[in-house]
Amino acid sequence: MPPPSSITVGVLALQGGVIEHIALLNRASTSFPTITFHFPEVKTPEQLSLCDALIIPGGESTTMAIVARRLGLFEPLREFVKINNKPVWGTCAGLVMLAEEASATKQGGQELIGGLDVRVLRNKFGTQAQSFVADLQLGFLAEGERPFKGVFIRAPVVEEVINGNGKVKVLGTVKKPGEEEDIVAVRQGNVFGTSFHPELTGDVRVHAWWLGNVVEALSHKGKEKGLVVGRGKLDGEEA
Amino acid sequence: MATNLANGISSISDDFTVKAGLAQMLKGGVIMDVTNVEQARIAEEAGAVAVMALERIPSDIRKVGGVARMSNPEMIKEIQAAVTIPVMAKARIGHIVECQILEALGVDYVDESEVLTPADDQYHVQKTDFKVPFVCGCRNLGEALRRIKEGAAFIRTKGEAGTGDVVEAVKHIRTVNAEIAQAKAALASEGELGIAKLAREIGADPVLLKHTAELGRLPVVNFAAGGVATPADAALMMQLGCDGVFVGSGIFKDALDPEHATKRARAIVKAVANWTDKRALIEASIEHGTAMKGISNAGLKEEEKLAGRGW
Repeated sequence: MPPPSSITVGVLALQGGVIEHIALLNRASTSFPTITFHFPEVKTPEQLSLCDALIIPGGESTTMAIVARRLGLFEPLREFVKINNKPVWGTCAGLVMLAEEASATKQGGQELIGGLDVRVLRNKFGTQAQSFVADLQLGFLAEGERPFKGVFIRAPVVEEVINGNGKVKVLGTVKKPGEEEDIVAVRQGNVFGTSFHPELTGDVRVHAWWLGNVVEALSHKGKEKGLVVGRGKLDGEEA
Repeated sequence: MATNLANGISSISDDFTVKAGLAQMLKGGVIMDVTNVEQARIAEEAGAVAVMALERIPSDIRKVGGVARMSNPEMIKEIQAAVTIPVMAKARIGHIVECQILEALGVDYVDESEVLTPADDQYHVQKTDFKVPFVCGCRNLGEALRRIKEGAAFIRTKGEAGTGDVVEAVKHIRTVNAEIAQAKAALASEGELGIAKLAREIGADPVLLKHTAELGRLPVVNFAAGGVATPADAALMMQLGCDGVFVGSGIFKDALDPEHATKRARAIVKAVANWTDKRALIEASIEHGTAMKGISNAGLKEEEKLAGRGW
């Protein structure tokens, strides 16, 4: 089926690195000249209902969770990710939000959206002094491509895949000298998460790859159906 | 090698990408001054993106007088152990060793701050020598770019800390904005020569000034600080173009009890997350309740003003 002619990819704008993602999405969108893209900031359930796909950016996951709860966004976000199965990508704090479980959270824990059957470990590498940049070999980028510069800032990692049903695919790892290899990119169906920040690099490749996945997912849903779902009306059989 | 980051914020190295990147992740958030574990927990639960650990909030530094120095590392360690959000701490202007101690403690940002008594009347710290990133205050564009040239990865207005009077913070962000507009005009009309002339006038590095003119904003994240006391103050600073807000005395000063401080903290987070939403600002203002009493900036003697420290 042909891809839809218009796609709305929101960036959750409760706090954090929002405009960095929008800037790279705009650049990545030039790879799809037949599609009109919209990249709005999303702060309300109404704005979310207009989106076909969503990025949850880096920031402080505790802050995002508290603000999302106060704005009544948690249930709409869970429906977006887990019931409507719309494409979602979380970077850093966004990965934490998309995990089913998180460790090293604040006292009393923190609320998560879920969608990835993993447990993330927050601040795996320690404080800002342990933040780093590492060349990553990301198998999903075209073969023979140069490594991707992974920017890790107080980054979480995937500590463990839970509910080992084989649905979670590990797409990237990093190994700091003297440490175990850590999982830093995972995908489960339409849900993608990275520990690192492609939006801080100026390198458009991960955004272009993900946007390609969004286009493909919406094409598979079928143009009509995809757009109906995309405008926030509940899909009869899934709702 | 220079890398152009997505939002136009540029970096000269991977090291700087990581330093400036944390500030980028704090955007749209509130950083709160806290003096103990209880306050740090209140800040985290209210949704602060980071805390600034210091022994006294600025309004009490004013009241107590004497020499204000880096906080006791023991207290900073307790706060680090109590919260999962980034912990920042202040060092005196030019006090290299306080910065070294804070870096070794593993704080996430050092604030080389005019709120403490300056240790060096000639030089700020050469911040490129450190792995820990720095935030510094400014009153105008020249001062901001001098700090960035020294390696600061994050800028805030100086405002007038501990007063609860937002007038100086407003003056400083308006001055920065006006001077950026001036730099853009100089670049457009006179090119490199115009930039060189303005750079001399404001005491800024011409390369950084040109870069700022091209971006139309400071090349690093810029928060409001110094006198922000209410949700409306916080939203005002956001509407004037700040990326986020530091609240010093405004949360805990004159708070009736911890519950009141919690309400104030939550209200300011809400105002910064929804700075254009008038309904949210009404709610936040109601929830905030009575603000700190404050001191009018106009009533301060010159020697009582903290913003004049540093250059």
